[in-house]
Amino acid sequence: MHPILSDRRRLGLYVLGWLPIGLLLTAGLSERTSWLASAAILLPITVVFAFISLNAGYLCRVFPIDARSNIWRTAFVHVVAAAMASAIWIGIGLIWVSGLDLIAPDLHARATFSERRLLIFAVGALLFWLASILHYLLIAFEASQQAERRAIELSLLTRDAELRALRAQIDPHFLFNSLHSISALTTVDPAAARRMCLLLAEFLRETLRLGSTQRISLADEFALADRFLEIERVRLGPRLQVTRETDPQATACLVPPLLIQPLVENAVVHGVSQLVDGGTIRIAASRGGPTLTIRIENPCDPDRPRAKRPGLGLELLKKRVVTQFGMDGAVIVEENAGRFRVEVRIPAVDAA
Amino acid sequence: MNNTAPRISTVIVDDEELARRVMREFLAAHGDVDVVAECGNGFEAVKIISEARPDLLLLDIQMPKLDGFEVLELVGGDVTVIFVTAYDQYAIRAFEVHAVDYLLKPFSPERLAEALDRARGRIATREKVPSGLIAAGRARQTPLERILIRDRADVHVIPVEKIDYLESQDDYVSVKTGGKAYLKEQTLAELETLLDKDVFVRVHRRYILNIARLAKIELAVKDNRIAILADGTKLPISRSGYARLKELLK
Repeated sequence: MHPILSDRRRLGLYVLGWLPIGLLLTAGLSERTSWLASAAILLPITVVFAFISLNAGYLCRVFPIDARSNIWRTAFVHVVAAAMASAIWIGIGLIWVSGLDLIAPDLHARATFSERRLLIFAVGALLFWLASILHYLLIAFEASQQAERRAIELSLLTRDAELRALRAQIDPHFLFNSLHSISALTTVDPAAARRMCLLLAEFLRETLRLGSTQRISLADEFALADRFLEIERVRLGPRLQVTRETDPQATACLVPPLLIQPLVENAVVHGVSQLVDGGTIRIAASRGGPTLTIRIENPCDPDRPRAKRPGLGLELLKKRVVTQFGMDGAVIVEENAGRFRVEVRIPAVDAA
Repeated sequence: MNNTAPRISTVIVDDEELARRVMREFLAAHGDVDVVAECGNGFEAVKIISEARPDLLLLDIQMPKLDGFEVLELVGGDVTVIFVTAYDQYAIRAFEVHAVDYLLKPFSPERLAEALDRARGRIATREKVPSGLIAAGRARQTPLERILIRDRADVHVIPVEKIDYLESQDDYVSVKTGGKAYLKEQTLAELETLLDKDVFVRVHRRYILNIARLAKIELAVKDNRIAILADGTKLPISRSGYARLKELLK
C-alpha cells in the first residue's frame, strides 16, 4: 500500500496540498472564462491528478537514487512517465468537460479546455515531476528515520547485554582467594572446607541466576550479600564484622538484582580488608513513604593509595540507578575521617 | 665433609591467617626451611624483617597499610623474595624487583617446592639485588602517591600532599611535614623524578617545594629571592629554581 494512502491524516494533508495548485490553475484559466467555469473544469480533475501523481511513488521505489543508479536512465523514465501521466490526465479531462457540456452547456467547458490543453499538459507533466521529487524526499526521510531507530534499538540491546554481563561479574581474585582458603582448610578443618565449597557454589549460582532476572526482593539481595560476607569471614576471620538494621517494610521491596552486592563487596575489598585490625560494616535499609533507602557504611584507611579506592564499580552503580530510575533515584557517596558511606535511594516498589 | 644443607631462615608475610597456615604446612616438608616469624601486615613485616634479617621472604602483595612491594622497598635488597598472591597482574613488577618466583594462589606443594629450589640457588650464590632496582620497581607507579620512611623498626607512610618541602642532606632526604622531619635514604634528585611535576618544584639545589604550601615570594638582597611558606618557613630560591617556579605558576 502506498504510504500516503495507508494513513488517513497523510491523505488529507496530501489532498489539501493540491488545493492551492488547483486554485492556481483555476486562476490561470479564469482570464479566458468565468471563475465558476474555470473552477468547474479544473478543480475536479486536479484532485484526480493528485491520485495519478501518487504513481510517482512506485516509480521512485523501482528507480531509487543511490550510488549504483544510472541517473540518466532514471531521468528518462521520469520524463516518459510524466508525459504519459499528463496525457492520461488530459484524456480524463476531455471526458469530464464533455460531460460538463451536457449538464451546463453555457460554460463552454470543452472549448475552453481544448484551447488550453497544451498548457495544461505541460503543467501536468511538471506537477508529476514535482511529485516524483517529493516522493524521493519522503523515501530518504523514511530511510534515515529507520536507520536512526535501528541505531537506537542496537544501542539499547548492547547496553542491556553489557549491564547483564556486568551484573553477573564476579571478581576473579575473590574466587582465587576463596579457593586458597579451601585448600588451607582441607587438612586443618575438612568440615569447614566442605562448608566453604557449598557457600561458594551457592553464591556463584545465585549471582548467575540473579543476573538474568529483572527485579528481586531486597531480602533476597541481602541473602546473597550474606553468603558473600560469610565466605569472606572465613578468609579474614574476626577482622570482618557486620551489623544490619533493616525494617521488614524495606526488605519486602523490589530492587534491581545485584544492586547492593557490589557495595558490600567494595566495603570488604576497599574498606575492612585494607585495615590491619579490620572493622564493622554497617548495612541499613529503611522505607520512608515512596522512597527506599539503603545505606552501607564501612571504616577505611584514609591514607590508602588511590588505586585501592572504589571507582569503576561505583560509577557503574550510579549509571544503573540513573538509567533505571532517572530523577527518582540517587546514589550518594561520602568519605569522612576514615568512614566510607554509600547511600542508595530508589522508589519503593512492593512485591506483588 | 658436612653434608647438611644450609638452613634457610624464612619469614611468612600474609594478612590472612589461613594463607599463612597452608604455607607453614607445605613448608614442613622442607627440612632446611626454618620459619622464624609470621606477619599479618606490612608494618609488622618491616619491623620483624629488619630485626630477624631472614634469608627468605614469602610475601603477599595485597595487604593493609603497606603492600608487598612497599615492604620490599623498606627492607632493602639483601633478602630473597618469593611473591605469593591471587593477582597475576604484578608478575612483571615482581621480576623487576628481582623476586625469584611468583606463586599464584591457590598453589600446589610441588609448585612451592620449585620456587624454594630457585630460592636455594639464589641464596647459595649470595646474590644481592642493588637497592636502586627495588626503588625502580616501585617507580612504575609515578607520580608517587606516598613516601615510605623506615625509622629503625618504625614505618612512616606520608601521603605526598602532606609534604611541605624536601631538603637534601647528602645521600638522604629530609621530608618535612607539619613541623616534623623524617629522614629517607634516597637522593633528592632520585625523589624529584618520582614526584608529580605539577605540584613539586625544585626551587634550589637543596630544596623541593610543594607548591600548595607557597605563601609568597620575597626579594632579598640583589637578585636573590626567598620562598615563604604558609607556616612562615623561608627557603632560598636559586635563579633556575625561580624560572621553574614561574613556569609552573603561569
